[in-house]
Order: sequence, then structure tokens, then C-alpha cells
Amino acid sequence: MRTPALILAALVAAPPLAGQGQAPSPAQQAAVRARQELFRAKRVPREAGFRVFIVPDMEGMGSAVDIHEVIAGNEGERYRTLTSPDYWDRFRLLLTKEVNATIAGARTAGARSFVVNEGHGGNMFANVLPWDLDTAAILVRGFPKPLVMVTGIDSTFGTLMFTGAHANAGSPGVMAHNFAFDSFTVNGKKLNEVGINALIAGEMGVSVSLVSGDDVLLAETREMIGGDFVPVLTKRAVGRMAAITYSPARVRSMLRTAAAEAVRREMRGQIRPFTMARPYRVDFTLRASYPDSVVTAVAGLTDFKLEQTGARSFRLVTDSAREMGYLLDTIEQVVLR
Amino acid sequence: MRALPLAAALTILPMPLAAQGQAAAAPPAPPRDTTPPGAYFGVTEYRLAREKLTLDTDTRGFTVYIIGDMEGLASVVRNATEMRPVDRGGTPQHERFRQELTDEVNAVIAGARAAGATQFIVNEGHGGTLFRNVLPDELDPAAILIRGYPKPIVMSTGLNPRVDAMMIVGAHANAGSPGVISHSFAFDSFTVNGRQLNETGIAAFIGGEMGIPMILAAGDDALTSETREMLGPLETVTVKTVFSGSAAAALSPARVHGLLRAAAARAVRRARAGQLRPLVLEKPYHVRLCLRRGYVRDDWIRTTVGRLPGVADGGSPGCFAYTTSSAEEVGNLLNEIEWTVLKP
Repeated sequence: MRTPALILAALVAAPPLAGQGQAPSPAQQAAVRARQELFRAKRVPREAGFRVFIVPDMEGMGSAVDIHEVIAGNEGERYRTLTSPDYWDRFRLLLTKEVNATIAGARTAGARSFVVNEGHGGNMFANVLPWDLDTAAILVRGFPKPLVMVTGIDSTFGTLMFTGAHANAGSPGVMAHNFAFDSFTVNGKKLNEVGINALIAGEMGVSVSLVSGDDVLLAETREMIGGDFVPVLTKRAVGRMAAITYSPARVRSMLRTAAAEAVRREMRGQIRPFTMARPYRVDFTLRASYPDSVVTAVAGLTDFKLEQTGARSFRLVTDSAREMGYLLDTIEQVVLR
Repeated sequence: MRALPLAAALTILPMPLAAQGQAAAAPPAPPRDTTPPGAYFGVTEYRLAREKLTLDTDTRGFTVYIIGDMEGLASVVRNATEMRPVDRGGTPQHERFRQELTDEVNAVIAGARAAGATQFIVNEGHGGTLFRNVLPDELDPAAILIRGYPKPIVMSTGLNPRVDAMMIVGAHANAGSPGVISHSFAFDSFTVNGRQLNETGIAAFIGGEMGIPMILAAGDDALTSETREMLGPLETVTVKTVFSGSAAAALSPARVHGLLRAAAARAVRRARAGQLRPLVLEKPYHVRLCLRRGYVRDDWIRTTVGRLPGVADGGSPGCFAYTTSSAEEVGNLLNEIEWTVLKP
């Protein structure tokens, strides 16, 4: 996920619009909270059969190496010059085809219900082409959405798959980053975006069966959540914006085969959900590139019991990975304002 | 062939020229246009449009009037990029959704036809491109298409008692509802006799007085559930489940087209069997409306709306009361308010 937190950090420095200066009244705050609860309680429509939840990101997909290929340019000031819409458009189609290949593979192994949740912030989480996506899939698109990368997931899903994922902030992977953070650990263990969302899903009993991305991502994810999942190597990073890549057709074929194997492993009960000891001690450091106003705003959050542990570092102690996910959502909303 | 006289009729409506000239010159400086709204666009023009469309509406067979809005189309989530064309601050992505709108309207027509409907009138209901969204050459050739702006009572232009049923696709939830891009004309709230009406409900109210039932509404889950509450057990198609004002779990467009075909057929069958009733409210109608917060702050808009004939103070700032025994008059009031807020 290219996080909108970064996208919108630029807006924080901008002068507030007229009328937005006043603090919201208690009644307004209550209304906002009620709506938030409503959306958090929502589920995607139920469907029968083995259910697969797919989270497609773009940085780790086949062939993608440059930020211009994964950004639409309408995500905020900073991103306007980071796009080449002609390239982005082409990669939307490649992305959609990768998801279709994953669905097709899972289907051959007996999966029957497919939810695709946009995991990439380009074009504000609207990258997959709805008309070219497998027609059986339900597509979760747009922003904001609760638990951004696993919106609507629940215990009815048989498995969780991440395609096009990227390596952690600071790792030597293609377009490596991690939400709004320079560092993010739970109980002292580093988690990348796949790891964070695997923990949220793991709490619901849903396990990760497939991860695709570059070699750096695959190696670090194996270390974080264990090696039960089926890996798909889409490219080998040779720089932050350079890689050894394979033909898109070959990547799709690997995804098809891997998705089928992944569903078979799940059906045989060979994959354990990723869990950690509670309470979770969540430590994170906001990106150094953010303005100080973001740090101040995070320090001022009242919905979470955050302890400030450094100039840009905070700690949350919680028994719920879902709460950790909502904190991530809230940090993005903070930056949005 | 039938469409020709209608198209000709619409082009001779007098008011658009003056209005468009003004918009094109676009000097945003005061003084503001204080021409009485009715002079552009009101009672006379609405009646004229109704009379003209009546000429084209069959008296035999079953005529369906389809309103095409866009926020509630399959997969739509974001206003800025998907609902506006490039020349109005949007992006080229909008173009794809014009095709989707056309496909959804065609699906509804196909379903209705399979159940015995014989005539189809399509009215543009989305203002993003000034009511020019449906791709005319891709639309079912049997349909009459009402397009362009300004047009009287935007969402029920030309509606007349020869029409047998109304449908709406791409509809969005009411202002304040937890739906994707939810809103309602220029209002934060609009009630008749204390009953909340969304845009679909208002169209059903105007049609209801002529005995025309709203038989199908398609949009997100907030829209379909609130519309069933407002209008009773009409056919609905839920095309997406809302996760925020700009995020949703969307069914595949192809699946939505299939659902629309089936629902439109069911709706026409139920209507022909007399199972779907028009919305009839007790007269006189007590309308209470509150302008959008942004408009309330605008003194000129607030006072202009307050001075419209028959409009009384509604008790709180930006809220007004209006009592009448004619739904058509309510429609005309809507027109004048829209025209007021859209004026330079």
C-alpha cells in the first residue's frame, strides 16, 4: 500500500479551509463516532462455499519498478509529479489480470467466493478495473475504509492472499515502505504491511496462504509470520526502483498455480493463522519526512491510550489487533485533516 | 423516428441560451443575477415540457420512465475522479462510467421489455456533465432520451400521466445517510408531512400524484434500504455495500447488469399485476426543507429562497416551510431553489 497518510501529509501544512477552524461540538463528535461504528460493523455480502480474501497491492506486482507506474497523480500535491498516467493506466490492467489469475487458480482448487480488497492507495484505492475483473468477485474500493487493507474480513473467510506486496520500510526492496511508519514492531518483532494485516486476520482465525512480491518481501515475510504460505516471486530487487522481472504472462501463470496450491493447503489445514502473545506491545515511529504537526496530532489522539516514547515514537498496549488496525486508520485520518 | 419531434421540441425551449451565455463569460464578480427564477425556468416551462413529452408518450402498451443518476452505479466510489468530466475538474475515468451508466440503463430496458413493457423514456438525472452522461449511440435504440441542462424538474422532466411506471438506476442515498456520495439536491433535509424523502422519493412523490409508481431503484445498500422504507416494497438492486462516503464492496458490473435485468422484469410484472402502488401523501402537503449548510452561510441564497412565493420561515436558519396541494408545485419550487443555488 502506498499510504494516503504520506499522500496527504502535504495537506497538513496548507491553511485550513474557512469554517474548519472550530473544534467540532460534542454532538458532532458523537455523530462522527456513530457513523464510524456503523461502517466498522459492516460486512461484505455473504456467499456460500470456500471464501478467499485477496488484497492486491501494486509495488510488488510483476514488472512494476517505478513509482510513476503505480501512482495516478490525483492523490494530493506531492504525488502530482510522481505519475505518468499512461503507465499507471497500463499497470491497472496488469494488476487486474494478476488478480484474475489468482482467482482462477483458487477456483480450480475448489474456492467459490472471492472478495478483492484494494490494497494500493494510488487513485485513492481504486486501481483494479471493475469491468475487467473476474465477474464472480466482490471488489472493495475507495477510501477511507475501516481496516484499510482488510476491510470487511471476518471469520467466514477460508484464507487471505496478498498479491503485489512490497517490502518493509528500510528494507532493500522495490518501493519498500510501511504505512505511515519508519518502524513498526509488535512485542519487539518487526512487522511489514503483510505482517500487520496477517495479525489482524489471525485473530479471526484467518490465515495467509499466498504472498507475491519481490525476493526481499518474501524473505522478510517468511521470517515474520512463518513459512506456511505459498510464495510467488514476481521479481528480484536490484535497487529501490529497479528489478529483474519476468513476463507478465509468466507471473500470471505462477499466480494461478500458487493460488490453487494455497487453497489446497488451507483445505488440508496445513496453514496456521498468525498469532502473537497478548497483550500486544505495539511500538511505532512516524516517518521522518512528516511535518511536526502530524506528530502533535497523533500525540493528541484521545480514542487510544498512546504513550509517547520518543520524538516521533509511540506505544500502544492492547489485547486487540483490530484496535491496532483502527489506530492505523485513525493515524491516516489524522494526517488527512 | 419517434424521438425526432421531441428533440426538436427541446431545442426550441427559450431559456437555456441566456443562461449559458452567462456561465460561459464567467465573471464571478457581483452584482449577482437577481432575475426572478420563474422567468428562466418554472411553471410554464415545466408544463410545456410535460405537454411536449405527452405527444411522444404512447397511450397503449406499457411505458417505463427511467431516471439515470450516477453515484449509485456499479463500482462508483469517488466523486472527484469518477463522477466529473475533465472540463469540470474531473478525470478521464469519468468516461468509463458513462458507458457503465448506459449499460445499466440498457439492462433495465431489456428486463422491462422481456416482461412486456413497450416504451422507454430515459431522463438524465446526473448533473456532473450538465445532464449529458448517457452515450446516445450506445443506448437501446428504442429509447427516448431527455438530456441537457437546464431542464425543468431535473429528475422528472416531462413526466406525464401516460407513463405507467418509473425506475431509477445509479441512485444515491439521502443527505446525511451513510451512503456513497450521499446528498439530496440543495438540501440537508427535505420532508413532506414529516416524512423524509431522498431524491428518488421526491421523484416518486411527483409521479405518485399522477398515479405513477416508482417500481425499481438501484444503488448502494443505504439507498435501497432507505428507499424501501420511504416507498414500500418496490424492487431494489443493491450494487455495493458502503464502507464510507467514498468506499464500498462492489459487485461486478456484469453481475449488476444481470440483477438489473431480472429486477426490472419482476418490477414490470408486479406493476402490471397492480401490486406496486404510487406514493400518495395526504393533502395539503406540508413541505419542510433545510438548505445545505454551505448555502445557509450564503446570505444571498438564504434570502432569495426565503422570498420565493409561498415560502415561509421554517423556524431555524436556512430552513423553510411550504404548504400546497400540488406535487407539481413542489417540483417547481425545487427547480427555483436549484436555479438559485446554481446561479453565479
